[in-house]
Parts: sequence; C-alpha cells; structure tokens
Amino acid sequence: MSITVCFLRPFARFLVPYTLHRKRRNLYSAVLQRCMSSKIPSLSYPNKDSTSSPEQLELDGWKTAMKSSMQEEDGVSTVSSKEDTLAATRELIEMWRLLGREVPEHVTEAELKVIMECPSKSAQKKYLRYLFCKERKKKAKQIKKEVKAEAREKAKLLETTEEAEQKDFLFLRLWDRLISNAWGWKGVQAMQFGQPLVFDMGYDNYMNLKELHNTVSQLLESEGCNRRNVDPFHIYFCNLKLDSAFHRELVRRYGEKWDKLLLTATEKSYVDLFPKDNIIYLTADSPNVMTTFKHDKIYIIGSFVDRNSQRGMSLAKAKRLNLATERLPLDKYLQWEIGNKNLTLDQMIRILLSMKNTGSWEEALKFVPKRKHAGYLEISQASQEVYSKLKKTKILNSFPKGSLNVQRWKR
Amino acid sequence: MAFYLSGFRCFPRLWKSNPSPKLGPGHSSLSLCLTVYCGIRNQQSWFSVKPSSQNIKAMNLLITKGRKLKGNNNNKQVSSESHYFAAGAAKKRSHIGNPQNEDHPSSSLRNTIQIPTKPLNSEEWDKLKDCFKGKISFEDWISSQMAHHNSSVEVAKSLLAWVAAKNNGIVGYNLLVKYLYLCVFHKHTSEVIDVYEIMKARYKSLESGGYTLLIRGLIQSDRWKEALPLLEDIKKVMIPSKKNYHDCIQGALLHQDVNIAWNLYQELLGHNAIPMLETLKAFFDFGKDIKDDHYSNKLLDILWYLRNNQLYPGESFARSIKTWFESIPGKQWKGQFTTIQKSGQCSSCGKAIEPIHLSPEEYRFLKEKVMSEVIDGGDQYRKTTPQELKKFKNFVDSCPPFDIVIDGLNVAKMFRKGRESQILLDVVSQLAKQNLQLLVLGRKHMLGQSSQWRKDEMEQVQEQAYCFFADNISEDDPFLLYAALHSGDHCKFITKDLMRDHKACLPDARTQRLFFKWQQGHQLAILKGFPRSKLTFQNILTYDTVVQTTGDSWHIPYDEDLVERYSYEVPTKWLCLHQKTQMPTVC
Repeated sequence: MSITVCFLRPFARFLVPYTLHRKRRNLYSAVLQRCMSSKIPSLSYPNKDSTSSPEQLELDGWKTAMKSSMQEEDGVSTVSSKEDTLAATRELIEMWRLLGREVPEHVTEAELKVIMECPSKSAQKKYLRYLFCKERKKKAKQIKKEVKAEAREKAKLLETTEEAEQKDFLFLRLWDRLISNAWGWKGVQAMQFGQPLVFDMGYDNYMNLKELHNTVSQLLESEGCNRRNVDPFHIYFCNLKLDSAFHRELVRRYGEKWDKLLLTATEKSYVDLFPKDNIIYLTADSPNVMTTFKHDKIYIIGSFVDRNSQRGMSLAKAKRLNLATERLPLDKYLQWEIGNKNLTLDQMIRILLSMKNTGSWEEALKFVPKRKHAGYLEISQASQEVYSKLKKTKILNSFPKGSLNVQRWKR
Repeated sequence: MAFYLSGFRCFPRLWKSNPSPKLGPGHSSLSLCLTVYCGIRNQQSWFSVKPSSQNIKAMNLLITKGRKLKGNNNNKQVSSESHYFAAGAAKKRSHIGNPQNEDHPSSSLRNTIQIPTKPLNSEEWDKLKDCFKGKISFEDWISSQMAHHNSSVEVAKSLLAWVAAKNNGIVGYNLLVKYLYLCVFHKHTSEVIDVYEIMKARYKSLESGGYTLLIRGLIQSDRWKEALPLLEDIKKVMIPSKKNYHDCIQGALLHQDVNIAWNLYQELLGHNAIPMLETLKAFFDFGKDIKDDHYSNKLLDILWYLRNNQLYPGESFARSIKTWFESIPGKQWKGQFTTIQKSGQCSSCGKAIEPIHLSPEEYRFLKEKVMSEVIDGGDQYRKTTPQELKKFKNFVDSCPPFDIVIDGLNVAKMFRKGRESQILLDVVSQLAKQNLQLLVLGRKHMLGQSSQWRKDEMEQVQEQAYCFFADNISEDDPFLLYAALHSGDHCKFITKDLMRDHKACLPDARTQRLFFKWQQGHQLAILKGFPRSKLTFQNILTYDTVVQTTGDSWHIPYDEDLVERYSYEVPTKWLCLHQKTQMPTVC
C-alpha cells in the first residue's frame, strides 16, 4: 500500500491545497485517502547499487520489490452492497485515471450515481469524458483567475505610487448601468410597439436533459442579442408550461432577473394569441423559401435542439395547426458545404434582427457559421435586378454616360 | 511531368467557383488546368500521380465526372445472376473499385527514436530518453510504441527494470498494463502470472482493461480457474464484454470443464448480448472429441440460436460445424459446401430450401407494425396528414388487390436520359401488357405540366394503372409499403430504394428481420439499361436465407472470408449437411 504514495505524490501536491481550500472533503478519492494515511515507504530497492555499475540491468529484480509491498488493510469491514458498488466504481475510475484515460479526478456522489445509471458502457464513457473536460476547463479557469489577480495586485501597487491627479470630467463612470437602463427603455418600448417574435417551447418532450440545457443557453443568448439591438423584437415564450423542465431551467439560469425580463412568457399557444394568417413558422424542413422579411408577420422559432435528428418535428407541428412555413434561403445565397441547415436559436434571431433592420440577406447571413459554407454565391438574380433598376433610374434622371455621377456609382 | 503537377495544385480554386477577382500569380495557370482536365477525360492514368492531400477532393470530383461520361459500361458489371440482396452486391453496385487506392503514407513518426530490439541497460535508456522530445512522458510513449509494435518481452522488461531502479522499485500501473499486454500477446504465461501476483499485491481492484488482459493471459495457464473470480470482479461495476466471456469459455473448454463453459454461455445470453461467433465455434471445435448426447443437443441449440437471430457463421466456423457433424458416430453425416439454385433447391442434395413467404401471423404482425410505426409513428403529421391517410386508405379499399405497386418517382428518376414521365409510362405500359393490376404512387407535382412531366403521358399512365398522388411534402414510401402489404402476399413492389430508413423505424430487431424477409421476397429492382432493352428485374429470392433443418438434413448459409457483406445483404454460400443413410434420389 505504501507505494501508492510515490506515484500519487505529484497529484497530492496539487490536490491538497485545492481541496482544503475549497473545503470539499468528500472529493477525496478512496485511494488518495488511503495513501495519505499510510506510512512513507521504508523500502529499499534491492537493485539500487547494481544500477550504478554499467552492467546489464537485472531484469526480474523489480518484481520482488513490487510484490513485497503488500496491501495492508484487508480487514476493512464490508458495508452494504450499494455503497460497495459505489466505492468499486470510484476505484475503477481511479484506476482508469492511472491508465491515462479521460476520466475526472474528483467525482461527487451525485455524479457517481449518474455514472452507474448509464444504460451502456459508451454512455458511461461519454459522461466520464464530459466530466473530465469540465474539470480541466474549471482548472484552467482557476489558474487564469489566479494569474490575473496577481497581475492586478501588482498594478495596484504601481498605481498607488502614482498620485491620482485631479481632472475635469463631464460624466461619472457609470457606463454599464446607464447602458442597461437604456436597453430597459428600449425593451419597454418593444413590449408596447415591437414586432412579436415567438419562441415555441412545446418541444420539451422530444429533448433529453442535455439538449434542454443547450436550448436554454441558446435562449439566453438570443434574448441578450435582442436586448442590445437598436430595434428589438417583442419576444414571446409560448407554450411554456409552469414548472416544466424548461421553466425550471430558465428560472434557475436567470435567477431573480426572470420576473423582470422584458418579454412575454405564456402558457398559451401562439395560435391563441395571434391571428393564424399572420403566423409564419420557421423551419429548415419547410418547402417554402423566405424571400423577404415581412414586418407585419409573426415569426415563430422552435426552441428545439435536435441531436437525434428527428426529422420534420417542427414541420409536423406547423402542418397540424395549418400554419404557413418558411425556411431561410441558405442555398440561394451560400455555397453550403457541411453541417446541418438547422441553425442555433441565437443565430436565427441575429439573422432576423439584421433582416429587420437592413433587409439585405448578404448582411444577415453573415451570422451563419463560416465553417458551414464556402462563401457567398455570386450576386443573386433578385439583387441584380434591383441593381439594374437603380442604375436605370439613376442614369435617367442624371447626366449621360461617362459623366462624374456614373463613375461614382460604379464605385 | 512537373509541368502538369504545378497545374494540379490549383484545382481547388477551379472547383470552388469562388468569384475571386484577384489576378494573382496563380491565375495564369488556370488555362493550364483546363488542358489537364481534358487530358483526364481521355485517360485516367494521370491519377497515378500521387496527389497531395489538399487536392484529393478535386481529383475525386474529376473521377466521378469521368465515370459519368463513360456511361453505363461499368454498371453492366453488376452480375445479373445474383439477386438484389446478395452478399457483396451493394459494393459492386456502388463503385467498381477506386482507381487510386488511398494509400496515405503512414503518419511519419514524430520522433525518430528507434524502438530498441534488444534489452538495454540503464545508461542506454537514459540516453534514449534524452533524445526524446514530446508532450507526454518518455516512459508512456516508449511503452505504448513497444506495445504497438509488439516488441519482445525482454526489451519491455528491461524498460520496467530501468524505471523501477529510478523510481524506488515502483512501476506505474499504466506501464504494468502495457507490459502485461506484451506478455499476453507473446503468450509468456509465467510472466503473466508474475504480473498477476504483483497486481494482486499492489492494487485492491483493477480496471476493465487490466482484468481483460489478465483473464486472457491466465486461461492459458494451469491457474485458469483464477480467471473466473476476475470476471466476478468486473461484474461488480459493469457487464463484462463478450470478449471476456469468450476468453473464460475458451479457458474452460481448454481445460475440459464443460459445465463451467455452458454456464458462462448461458450467463452471456442472459445479458442479452450476442455472443461472438468465435465462442460458438469453440464449442463446436471442442465437440469433436466428446461423444455425449447432452452436449450435442446443446450444439443443436446453438444452431437454433443462429436461426432465430439470423446470424450467419463465418467460413471457418462453417468448416467446424461440418467436421463436428461428420464426427458424430453412427449417423454418417455428409457435409458439402454448395450454392442454392434460383428455384430454391440445394445444388448438392436437391432439397428445397424454405420459401421466403411469411406465415399468416407474421404477415399480419408486420402489417400492423408498419402501419403503427412507419406510417403513424406517434405523430401522423410527420410523414403525411390524417386526411391524406384516410383518403389513401379509402382509395386502397375501393380498388381490387394490386399485383404490383410502383414507386413512381423512384422509377422515373432512375435514368438520367429521357423524360421522367416518359420513363414511367414505358415501365407502366410494359407491365400493363402482362395484365397486372398496377398501382403507381407519386406526388402531386407530377401532375403539373413541366419539362420533365408531360400531362398527356401522365394521363396515359392513369389509364393503365391506378394512381395515387400524395402531397408534395408527404413521404411516399410508407404508402408504398402499406399498399403492398395490404394487397396480400402475391403483391410485389418496384423501387430501387433499400428502405433502410423505414426499417430503422421498426421497434425491435425481430420486426426488422421480418420486414427484411418480406422485402427480399417482394421487392423488384429494375436492372439498368432498361430504356434500350426490355424491362428486366433483379432476381427475386424465392427461398429464405437462414439456418434450417428438416431433421435429417441441415442447410447453413455462411459468410465467405473474402467477401464483404453489408447488413442488408445475405450470404450466397451454403453448407449442406445430410445423412448418408437416406441418400436423396436426385444426386
């Protein structure tokens, strides 16, 4: 047993300040606990001297050393079988970690239970990998934070030596608050006069927990985008059942801000709120292509992250309610390469906001991820027509060809 | 040659059709590219030039283009003898071998360190370590390299000794596992046992990889029984893999402990795992030396298991089955590797193989399942609408049972040349001449006038066959399946679609197998080259490819080692076993 110390020592060095600092003793893994309490090895390696001479290494010497270090605790009373499997799983993870597999260093009880409830080995592996990545990111963040704090300390020292001189300012430094105030005003205006944009929350049955969390993240992002825009939409969260998983997660993420959000969350369906003829359901499966952004229509976006590629869910929904459907003209403007035509919710709202303000697809489709397409197709027919029309009028009511005006236009 | 090579490099730009107006230095070579491209059309030998990875894509584009130009020549190679679902047929259909084998040079070693072939002493290891530059530790890297290249155990041992000497006699678990791997690989049983002792001493429990290696190592030795507790240890945290079970069963058989082997086999089945074919083969191999009714009954159970789960043995397994049957004393079994004739008769004994038709119960069950899972699927709006479904059902009920259901769009789009409505009309009229009740399924857009769909031709189609046109956004395949199943067992359907997505909608493996069996017996696929010649179909199977018996004979399909079979294909080779005492009259 005592040997474990040796190869755990590097980890222990890192671990101890970390765990003690955070006061999370339950993080101690079983093996670690054992090794902390055990004695320092007093074992001398029988072959130590022979290595100093340039002879051949004695090949089997290490085995005796390894064998002689027997496990010490054998009389540990066995606990109930449930806890036994928990402990066994913990140990398994620890051994995997020694093997260099991608598993987390610390596992909480709750996480262990999730691991054991995984339906298959690959699900287990995936979850462990997820925990591993999460842990790594957290650690990196922690380190970054410490470095930053150190730098700040240094900067502070420097600053105090310099005497802060008096200057004349027009404004106090209150930017953040003023900006959010302004956004609030705009949001209220949008609530009164803004164009509605509906997020259909009726998909919680089709998503697993992970997808649901992703959806909520995307919703948060979309709402943020909308808030910052010059002319925000009036956002509706329709079909949002009270105390559903969606609702709970949203409240959890927004905290107390949830009740102060400048949007309408309702249990009702959009067909009850708006006239049916004005509704357009946006879905990538739609046969109709969206050509222009209409300012008098109500667009609906399904809040649905679909990892299992259940095709045609939203189209089925629109069909059932007999709603008009449209899809973005991605193929018309972009040279699509890889990836799903389904975009994330925040990309959708960015595109719609941009269309609302500028009306140009080239501008709006900048928000489609670059990795998915190779670039814009040549100027499409529609815009070419507009171009020529403009040119004609321009030429007609101004000077003949070759004059200064035309030159400027060409540029 | 070098001249052309420089041209190759700018292919991607050509194909991206990027409107880049930049007149860079590479621009002048564009015209050059075009000449190269023309050269490729005529002779494909240009592709012997090894492409750099970045323009492989462009090359492939050109290759497919070239192939299209060649026309139907290649497609004729799809042998007309084999049926649509024969093993290897899909591969033949898809591509006739890539002209350039993608032999990427194996990723060059990042480090130029040679894996030692002889045991080194500690100075040499130290020196080697100094040469090494990499992110991970030297010991990790070298040990995985040694495991990868299957170095000798002695070399690995010297590495471990060196590590131990540096490290106070301690060797990390990862190194130990890799060493164990090498020992198991080279079948060094004594070393395996040594490592086993060490692991037992050092660690309270291991992880699955270590257990697996230990089990595999121990079963060869006299202490094979100790592998079983290790299996129990795995069970504490997870279900052991089929390989673990395979190893243990093999170990038990190796040491003549039949009961343990059968118990483990039962346990494996209890986990709902499909055992490895090697495991089953091991039972048959072992059976040669056992003359025991109980044991042979169990082996017959295995054959029934193969039948029920539609598994096919491999070539060597088939050979084992043959030898086992031939070794049964008194019965005088005679085995032969053979094929089945088109008529469904075994070429060697002449017996008829089971027909492919489903039993009435199975048929009813399948029909129900297709209706509820494929068409309805919990939400009728996903594939169609309730109104449409009702309309279709009424339509089908009002018509007499069909003989052939045609997937209009699939058939019409089969050939590039020719108008789509024209092709559909050709097919329909050829079939109508044979006095068959036809149903053509399509979508509404086929009725509108367009360059591909002429109204007068569609009217002729409607005169000769019943037609149903679904909405443009509905799926037509589910309607096809339903109409074909509704009409009865004699009804066939024409489409080239393999229907894999619809098969996947079915809830469990058993229903999927039923569907596949029905599909094999009822799907007609048009052979290419039709517009010029008479309409011909891929052979339809009349017999069921499955392990089967008539008491005094067994017929067992098997996979050949050299043929790659896709999951939606069935083997073509058979093992025919019959008893000599009752020789068939036709021989």
